[in-house]
Amino acid sequence: MDIVPGPAQAVAICLSVALPLLLFVVARATNVRGAGRTFRIGVGLATASFVLACLFLPGERHFDDVLAGALLLATGILLSYVFWSLLAWGFTLTLLTSLVQAGRPMTSDEWATAYMRGGNLGTFARNRLKLLLGSGMVASSDGRLVATAKGTMVAGVVRLIRFVTGLGHAP
Amino acid sequence: MMSFVWGAIGIIAFIVVAPAMQWMARRTARPLSPTIVLAIAAVLSHVASTILGAMTVPQFQYWNAASVFSFGVMSYVFAFGAVYKSVSLEILLDVTERPGRESSLAEVVEHRIPDVFLGRTKILVESGLAEHIGPTFAPTAAGRKLAGRITRLRRLFAIGDTGLYDFSD
Repeated sequence: MDIVPGPAQAVAICLSVALPLLLFVVARATNVRGAGRTFRIGVGLATASFVLACLFLPGERHFDDVLAGALLLATGILLSYVFWSLLAWGFTLTLLTSLVQAGRPMTSDEWATAYMRGGNLGTFARNRLKLLLGSGMVASSDGRLVATAKGTMVAGVVRLIRFVTGLGHAP
Repeated sequence: MMSFVWGAIGIIAFIVVAPAMQWMARRTARPLSPTIVLAIAAVLSHVASTILGAMTVPQFQYWNAASVFSFGVMSYVFAFGAVYKSVSLEILLDVTERPGRESSLAEVVEHRIPDVFLGRTKILVESGLAEHIGPTFAPTAAGRKLAGRITRLRRLFAIGDTGLYDFSD
């Protein structure tokens, strides 16, 4: 068994490990605002570095080395995104930080208000709904929400994934 | 190329083993977290497919197999994470389950979201990060420690702490 990574694979592993550092640099050293935009720029830099390394590293390139390198980098990006999205948009974690920041025990209603910085859960609901409305999965008019054909299809896929991954019943 | 094939066999093993383990984990007296179950399933299927690959392929390239396996498993974990606790998808599922596949905004705001909120507070209490003190909630020592880490990481990466999507982003 050969356990030494090829040159492109080694670059991909290093870039995957360095991705949090890249994100830190993008967040700190630039005027970029917004967690999503920061992540996209970090991923763009990592991907561009990988392509440049494949083009300019000395020695012959092998297809399997480059393919495996690309898959390893994609894995690193997906893994980073899972943690990044929890950090930036995680509902449960933000509930916890708001409870700690309040500095005193709170009732359920007070906790919801603290979570929304004085607002209410309606603001949160509208924020999450914007994602569904913006992506065309739900249409809204006169206070009614209607699942579009796209939304119904996505819901079917979600139920299927829940079933296949052991999280839900048969769709 | 056979090393890539063994990576793909590892993914198939993971896809078969992971749901079965989730099913078994839910039936034990002290159910493991679904994320931990996924991690155990990934390690088992990777070790098994790597050993079998090394035994059957004369020039087994570990990183070729690992790249296919890790990408497949991460894609699975990504899809799993999206459907496991996404609030937006919970709203979408709720709307599609109603007659005519429609609901009112008031229903979502006044019932669905408070239900999700209560569900998440329950998770925090059950996982020992928050506790009930009479009618109120307070963080435990473990909860304060985790919240401190999250806050430091958010500051480090200049991430806001509202947990809301920034649509100008």
